[in-house]
Amino acid sequence: MARRTLHGLLLLAGVSLLTFLLLSLAPGNFYDELRLNPQISPDTVAAIKAQYGMDRPLPARYFLWLASMARGQFGYSLEYHQSVSSLLWPRARNTLLLTGLATLLAWMIALPWGTLEALRRGGWIDRAGAALTAALLAIPDVLLGLLLLLLAAKTGWFPAGGMSSLNADQASLPLRVWDAARHLFLPVAALVLGSLPVIVRHTRSAMILALDSPFVQAARAHGIPSARVLWRYAFPAALNSLISLFGFSIGGLLSMSLLIEVILGWPGLGPLVLEAMLARDIYVVMAAVVLSSVFLVGGNLLADLLLYWNDPRIRQVSS
Amino acid sequence: MSVEVQPARPASAPLLAVRELTLRYRRQSPLRGDGPQVTALDNVSLELPAGKTLAVAGPSGCGKSSLARCIVLLEKPDSGQILYGGDDLLTLASRERRRVLREVQLIFQDSAAALNPAFRIEEVLEEPLLIHKSAASAKERREFLHELLRSVELTDKLLARRPLELSGGQRQRVAIARALACRPKILILDEALSALDLSTQGQIANLLLDLRETQNLSYLFITHDLAMAALFADHVAEMAAGRIIRVGPPQKGVTGNLQSGSGALPSPSPSGQTVPVR
Repeated sequence: MARRTLHGLLLLAGVSLLTFLLLSLAPGNFYDELRLNPQISPDTVAAIKAQYGMDRPLPARYFLWLASMARGQFGYSLEYHQSVSSLLWPRARNTLLLTGLATLLAWMIALPWGTLEALRRGGWIDRAGAALTAALLAIPDVLLGLLLLLLAAKTGWFPAGGMSSLNADQASLPLRVWDAARHLFLPVAALVLGSLPVIVRHTRSAMILALDSPFVQAARAHGIPSARVLWRYAFPAALNSLISLFGFSIGGLLSMSLLIEVILGWPGLGPLVLEAMLARDIYVVMAAVVLSSVFLVGGNLLADLLLYWNDPRIRQVSS
Repeated sequence: MSVEVQPARPASAPLLAVRELTLRYRRQSPLRGDGPQVTALDNVSLELPAGKTLAVAGPSGCGKSSLARCIVLLEKPDSGQILYGGDDLLTLASRERRRVLREVQLIFQDSAAALNPAFRIEEVLEEPLLIHKSAASAKERREFLHELLRSVELTDKLLARRPLELSGGQRQRVAIARALACRPKILILDEALSALDLSTQGQIANLLLDLRETQNLSYLFITHDLAMAALFADHVAEMAAGRIIRVGPPQKGVTGNLQSGSGALPSPSPSGQTVPVR
C-alpha cells in the first residue's frame, strides 16, 4: 500500500507539472484581452502581470503554485480574483452530489441487469438488453444531454437547469428535497444512461466467465442449488473484474459529468472549468485537473483494497 | 468412516443405464443464424451394474466427457434416457434430481480448476454436507471431515489451506473426498488421473481401488489410457466419433493409449452393438 501511495503521489506531481506546462506553453494567455483594449497601456498590463507573479519564470511559478496547494489554496483565480479553493470546493461538492448519485444508481441497475442477461444468455432478455445497450452506446453524451433538455423544455416536467428553484431555501424540508430531486433528475438520467451500457456489458461478460468456469460447473454437478451457486460461487468470482471497473467509476466522479453539467446547466465543476479554459485562467484549470487525478488515483487504490479483501489469492501473493 | 453396504441387486438390474443418448452442439451466430451441428453423442447406450467398473475409452473429442456431463445433468441431451435406479434423470423434478446428483459424483481431470480457489479446503468439503444435510451439527461435520481426510490419506492440517496451495495429487484427493462427502454410489472419473505425474497416478489409482472395495462404489472410468482401463475396469467400452464401437473385457498387459492411436481393444463384439456389463 505504501508503495502504491507513493506511486500515486508521483503520478499526481507528474500530472500537475504536465498540465502546467501545456497550459503555460500554449499560445495566448489571460492578459491577451487586456492588451487588445487600446485604453490599457502595455505598462499597465505588465504591472498587473507582475502583481500576480505571472512575469516570473515557469519553474518559479510552478513551485509557487505547489506551495499554494500545500496551504490548501490551489493558486489564485485571475478571472474571479480569489483563491481557487474558494471557487473549487462548492462546485466540486455539487458535482460529487450529481455523479455520486448517478454512479450509485447506474451500478444498482447494471449489476442485476447484467447478471440476468448472463443467466438468460441467448434468450430474448439477453438479445433485447444487447440491443438497448448498443443503442445507448451509440448515442453521444452531447446528444443525450440535448434530448433531455428538449424534453424539459417541451413538457415543463423538469427544470431546464440549475440546482434549485428561486426561494427554495424558504420552503419546508420535504419541498426542498422534492425541488432538489426535480433539478437532479435530468443530469442524473443523462449520466446513468451514458454509463449503464459499459457496466451492464462488463457484468454480463464477467458473470458468463464465472458461470462457465470449471469450479462452478463442478458445484452444479454436486447438486448445489442454482441460487447458492450464483451467490456463493459465481458472483464472488466475477467480482474481481467488476471491482476494477468500480475503481474507474470512482476515479471518474469529478470528470465524468463536465459536459452534461454544461449542457444541462448544473452548477458543478464543468461550467467553471470551461469558463476557466476559455479565459486561460490557468490555476483554476490546474486545480480541477489535479483534483480529478486525485480521485482517479484514489479510485484505483480503493479498487486495489477491495480486490485484496475479496480475493484470498491476492492476499496470499501479497503476504 | 462408516461404510454403506449396498443391498444385493439382481445381476441383470444395472445401477446406471444410458439408452440411445444423443447430444448435438449447434453453433449460433446472430448474423448467420444456426451454424453447422457437431454430434458429440450418437445413440450411445451402456449399463453399469452396482459394484462394477466400466471404463469408457477413446481419443480426445470422441464424446467421453460429454457423456459424463450428460449423466450428471451438466448438459441436456437432445434425445435418449439416463436411467438411475430405474428413474429417468432427464424427467425428474429438481428435488429428486438433487438427491440423485448426491449419489452420482463426477471427478474432473483438472482438480485445480474444479475446486473453488477462494474456498479453504474445509469449506470445499463442508459444502456438500451443508447442502445435502448429511451431518446435523457443526461437531458432527467436523468429525466427518476428519474421517473424510483420513479416508483419502490426507491430514487435518490441509483444512485451513486453499486449493492452489496444494500439490496436484493432494488436490485430486480433496476432490475425491468432496465426492465421498455426498456418500455416493457411483463415481464418474473423467480422466481423473491424466493430469498427474506417474508416481501420483499410481497412488491415486491405489486409493481409488481401495475405496471401491471399502465403500462398495461403482466407477465409470473415462480415459484414453488402455493400461489404466485394464487396471480398473471389469469391462471397457470404446468410443469413437460419439458412438460406442466396441465393448469387451480388458486385456491384461495391454499398453498404449487411444490418444496417440497406439492402442486398440481386442475381440470386438460381433455386431458392434453395445452389450451390458456383467
